[in-house]
Amino acid sequence: MSDKEEREISRIKEVESTNLARDDIRELVIETKKAVEKDNDLLANKIHRSFLDNNIKSFDIVGAIGAGKTALLEKIAEKLTAKFRMLVICGDITTRVDADRIEKYNAETIQINTGRECALNAYHIHQIIKNKDLQNYDVIFIENVGNLICPSEFVLGTDKRIIVVSITEGEWVVEKHPMLFKMSDIAVINKIDLKERLGTNVEKMIADAKNINPEIEVITTSAKTGENIDKLLELMGF
Amino acid sequence: MKEELTKIEEIIANPNEIKISNIQELMEALFAKLKNRVDNYIGDYPTFIEPVYLEENVKIGDDVLLGPNVYIGANSEIPNYVEISNTIIFDNVKIGENFKLENCIVAKNSSFNFKNLNMKNSVLIGAANLKTELQNIGF
Ligand SMILES: Nc1nc2c(ncn2[C@@H]2O[C@H](COP(=O)(O)OP(=O)(O)OP(=O)(O)O)[C@@H](O)[C@H]2O)c(=O)[nH]1
Ligand SMILES: [Mg+2]
Repeated sequence: MSDKEEREISRIKEVESTNLARDDIRELVIETKKAVEKDNDLLANKIHRSFLDNNIKSFDIVGAIGAGKTALLEKIAEKLTAKFRMLVICGDITTRVDADRIEKYNAETIQINTGRECALNAYHIHQIIKNKDLQNYDVIFIENVGNLICPSEFVLGTDKRIIVVSITEGEWVVEKHPMLFKMSDIAVINKIDLKERLGTNVEKMIADAKNINPEIEVITTSAKTGENIDKLLELMGF
Repeated sequence: MKEELTKIEEIIANPNEIKISNIQELMEALFAKLKNRVDNYIGDYPTFIEPVYLEENVKIGDDVLLGPNVYIGANSEIPNYVEISNTIIFDNVKIGENFKLENCIVAKNSSFNFKNLNMKNSVLIGAANLKTELQNIGF
């Protein structure tokens, strides 16, 4: 690639949206976007194969900010680490708060700080696992950066994707964010312990999820009281 | 950590010894012990995959991916679009924009004033204003 082309690509990375691309580089912007998505998918396939080759069950958790992804992982780790060797990869813009919380329950953790990137991608995961002996693990969880938009652009090569929202986000949160529900296998509606207090229409949230993706398994949980955590583990195949 | 770093510095001070040394083992020993320390750099919000250990006064540009297994010495400069993994960079180093380093060591006070480099399994030493002037020794 010539220096000029590399400069163009650098600029495209900054532009990031095809709408903002100048006409003379619009085609290059689109091509680059397509190539990035394709590379991510190929890498995700490769990751999944290495998980399967090592008999590892793998899950990635996406969901709204503060919906309870880490709180659920704390409960899951508490139950699973007695029997399984568990690795948890935590994605956050900055800090090691989530990894430290989960580590208390005897899971090995790796924190990725994504900085200005709003989702993990397969490359991040690949960089980690190529440095690890996968024979040391039975189950791998990946907690994505909290948001309901960006993670839909990147699959990570896990067996199942789990989407977590909570009833504090309001009953419209599911229908307003269909992309991640479409591509997930399990939808968790968390903080169900607050249902009476908030009066959120949980039945609507469940119906919306099923409407968007008839294949999706929907479960209501409380990471606070532990309600339905065992059922969630069952859905995950434990 | 200091122990491995000192040994590695001794080896690369003698470029003829690099190939016959146990430098790869020393790097792995260092990475196994490496703590995460990323709260002390100067710059925007790069991407870090832990463990990454930054000494004081490291400058980091935009769209940078550091880690896993990266040690960066004091006062070193990491410009835009750089990607580094499994690599040791000693003090006062300046690398170029869009460098990709994997399993490398950059000797202290090195300064590379050109863009775009993709390098693996090598020691990089000295000063270079062009890619063709770069002194690199594979291991
Ligand atoms: N009442 C109640 N609170 C909960 C529940 N689950 C989580 N929380 C609380 O909600 C807050 C956010 O929970 P986290 O587990 O940090 O949420 P998260 O999805 O990991 O957040 P990010 O990683 O920052 O996106 C914390 O104060 C939790 O204690 C729940 O089921 N019920
Ligand atoms: Mg979290």
